[in-house]
Amino acid sequence: MYCYDAVDRLIVEERVAQFRDQTLRYLAGELDEDAFKPLRLQNGLYIQRYAPMLRVAIPYGVLSSTQLRKLAEIARKFDRGYGHFTTRQNIQYNWVKVEEVPDILAELATVSMHAIQTSGSCVRNVTTDAFAGVAQDEIVDPRPYCELMRQWSTLHPEFAHLPRKFKVAFNGAKEDRAATPVHDLSFDLYRDEVGEVRLIVKVGGGQGRTPRIASIIKRDLHWSEMLTYTEAVLRAYNRLGRRDNIFKARIKIQVQELGAEAFAAEVESDWAHLRNGPNTLTQDALDRVAQFFIDPPLETWSEPASKTLAIDPNFQAWKKRNLTAHRHGDYAAVTISLKREGIAPGDATDAEMDFIADLADRYSFNEIRVSYHQNLILPHVPRAKLHELFSELDSRGLARANIDMASDIICCPGGDFCSLANAKSIPLSAAIADKLAPIEDEIGAIAINVSGCINACAHHHVGHIGVLGVEKAGEDWYQIMLGGRPDGVGRLGVLTGKSVRQEDVPGVIDRLARHYLDVRNEGESFIAAVERLGTDSFKIILAEEPAAA
Amino acid sequence: MSLVIELDQQGAKVIGQAPERAPLTPPKPANEGHGDVRKKIVPNVKQPTEPTNAEWEGGQYLSMQEWLDGSQEGGAILLQPADDVKKLDGRIGNAALISVDFHRIGDGRGYSHAFLLRKRLNYQGRLRAQGAVTADQVFAMARVGFDSFALRADQSADTALRSLDSFGVPYQGAVVAGTATDRADANFAARVRLLERALVEIAQRHDRPALASSLSAEDMVITDVIARLKLPIDIFTLETGRLNPETLALIPQVKERYGIEIDVRRPDEHAVAAYITAHGKDGFYDSVAARKLCCNIRKVAPLDEALNGRDAWLTGQRRDQAVTRGALPEAERDSERTMQKYNPLAAWAWADVLAYATRFDIPMNALYQRGYVSIGCEPCTKAIRPGEDPRNGRWWWENQGSKECGLHTIQNVTR
Repeated sequence: MYCYDAVDRLIVEERVAQFRDQTLRYLAGELDEDAFKPLRLQNGLYIQRYAPMLRVAIPYGVLSSTQLRKLAEIARKFDRGYGHFTTRQNIQYNWVKVEEVPDILAELATVSMHAIQTSGSCVRNVTTDAFAGVAQDEIVDPRPYCELMRQWSTLHPEFAHLPRKFKVAFNGAKEDRAATPVHDLSFDLYRDEVGEVRLIVKVGGGQGRTPRIASIIKRDLHWSEMLTYTEAVLRAYNRLGRRDNIFKARIKIQVQELGAEAFAAEVESDWAHLRNGPNTLTQDALDRVAQFFIDPPLETWSEPASKTLAIDPNFQAWKKRNLTAHRHGDYAAVTISLKREGIAPGDATDAEMDFIADLADRYSFNEIRVSYHQNLILPHVPRAKLHELFSELDSRGLARANIDMASDIICCPGGDFCSLANAKSIPLSAAIADKLAPIEDEIGAIAINVSGCINACAHHHVGHIGVLGVEKAGEDWYQIMLGGRPDGVGRLGVLTGKSVRQEDVPGVIDRLARHYLDVRNEGESFIAAVERLGTDSFKIILAEEPAAA
Repeated sequence: MSLVIELDQQGAKVIGQAPERAPLTPPKPANEGHGDVRKKIVPNVKQPTEPTNAEWEGGQYLSMQEWLDGSQEGGAILLQPADDVKKLDGRIGNAALISVDFHRIGDGRGYSHAFLLRKRLNYQGRLRAQGAVTADQVFAMARVGFDSFALRADQSADTALRSLDSFGVPYQGAVVAGTATDRADANFAARVRLLERALVEIAQRHDRPALASSLSAEDMVITDVIARLKLPIDIFTLETGRLNPETLALIPQVKERYGIEIDVRRPDEHAVAAYITAHGKDGFYDSVAARKLCCNIRKVAPLDEALNGRDAWLTGQRRDQAVTRGALPEAERDSERTMQKYNPLAAWAWADVLAYATRFDIPMNALYQRGYVSIGCEPCTKAIRPGEDPRNGRWWWENQGSKECGLHTIQNVTR
């Protein structure tokens, strides 16, 4: 885990002092709302429907147990005893008070955390694979590159007032678990024929109003040129991106209108001046950061053979669903599902965060990850201790065996919290999960994403099934999309038909799922069946009258 | 003309008079939320057509096009956000001033204008930001190359000047991408600034804070910061009666260098006399108990007295000085004396102390040059070999675990 040095620490402490001063000037009437807004946004402070919301950065989803305990303490002291983990590996507090935010930021600084650039028109928190450094299919560990990008983009003086927000993601594995095709700027890390790390650079991906899959603009960027090239991309966007309409201000529109090749040419012409300049990464710079991302002292364990364990169906189901293979054969990465009955997806209480921090200390070298799927992960658990861990999780209702399944729904805060939402998303997610419960096991892996509005915080465009809240005459209606995926080259889902009422959504999804069960080949996943048969063959089913129950 | 802040070699200066400001009206913070704001979003942003200010101190600005069409002799250019700065390449001529117009805070194109003018077109003259220029932007603006700021009418020059110093060691450039030495240098600068911040905060938070100085290099570092920043933190030292002359020589040196009179505290004469009678002058070599009693009379009791009536004290202790200090916090509660205790150098390495001593040329105990590292009373301190544990030079006849004089006992960690 990265460890702050004096440079990191000073920046975070001075940022707290700066924002405290700004907040005091705002509260005194010296700073008007317009001048205060970009300042508070770049410190993670939104004003939501009913209260202010603070988004805290969890850089590339890596947390220590000490940090998680601090997040729990903040939930307890400054909020209503819970926090919400997001698809961008952050945590949000929904009930903070404007005047208390500087104190919260000061608390975060004591554990090397901050809320810098978690919102506003700037480079946002960098994200990556939650299984970085653990996954068996990893080619290059993305974390050192993420950390270098985090530092370089933090308080960059030139790029704090971009046309719109700018999200960066890294993927270093064969399977893309970071949704890089739908990011403003993303990198696929690989090794060239002589073993040097190089990057495929993609720009202009995004969701929201105008979803778009990112275009590749460079295939062989040497790692040492990562920052100079990024600088050129950001300058092209800052100077030439659209600022006449906020709905058209993301880089995806610029790339779309200009064409990926012309955009790449603009970048190259600026980059020619930056290459070998002061932002060229040295081996020293990479080594300094990489030294923090080494394996913990993993040991050889033998898994105890036990007849009683073998017949515990809950443990077996949990082992089947919630485990990810670790590079070290005697360990596993355990996903703790935050998708539980009656609880908003991604939410955890202060007590649960404290509990999970304790588990991390005892089972996973004090480390926790936050995933794109809004779950928490213990990355290094000895296989020999899985049953013990399962029992502890189960005792607190945290052992739901549903990872990557129908009830593991990605969901935004929606109309219950967000001032932009057209419709609620949390209760609908619960209704969908309930409806599919009887066939959840049969369905197997499926990604269902529920967004309360067009801004697509729950990534509905890239859900195998995506649900989008729209408003019709004051009522909550929903569009249902099919066939999207955030991995591989990425694919956007297509509309299945007209929007439907809230109460009809679970039924529609149930019919899509049951149709899959009817038509699938042996061992074929939901998304594979949709891709083989085409979305139209599923749409036709919906057009038929539903069979009487 | 509005208030302008200009930067040059000597620092920042303010030109002009601040306009009258309307009385402040504190807002009601939006703790009840903003409700449903969908209808309030206006997608189209009106692009400005007029400059925010068409004149500079030498007359009318020329637009970029007017400049390119003209003789490029004298005068000032006003760049608009949508201008392509690169067109000025090789054609800046002898412009007296280039200004960049900011029509709203959120339009960041002007920052790239400044970068390109400075780094790509190599423009070295005055570069001004005007329009929606607030105090909170000037730090970033200065970093991309602006050296003149025509503040928005409602902005305070004092706040802007303060915000120019917002961050001591920004990330970009060599600090992130450079060599190990670059980062080490940046870390030293950051460590010094963290120390300065910590001492300022202690001075603000407490009524009567004091540094208990052993006249060590560490304490001279803290003394130097107190003196440079003129902080209301008192300094006292415990003159045990057994200190080296080299150590005592620092007291007048501090007076001469900083004008600071260190409060010299001495042990109770009767207690010292009684100790000598019972144990002999050097009885501390005989047992840990006898040594601790001596420490108690000559150091601990005078310390208690010096701290009487105070609400905080500071020390120069560092974590890597001794095994007993490995978990030393930067701030702790001294429950025995019911006050805060600060160890602002806790995270410093000896190399940092030496770097500071060199950089700021502070008075140093001459014994350091003779191999001493940790310096206490003369009979209980000796030089060590290079690479040896620093604490081996103190009470060398005892075990590591007991090597504290009693001034510093393990406290509850608050940080």
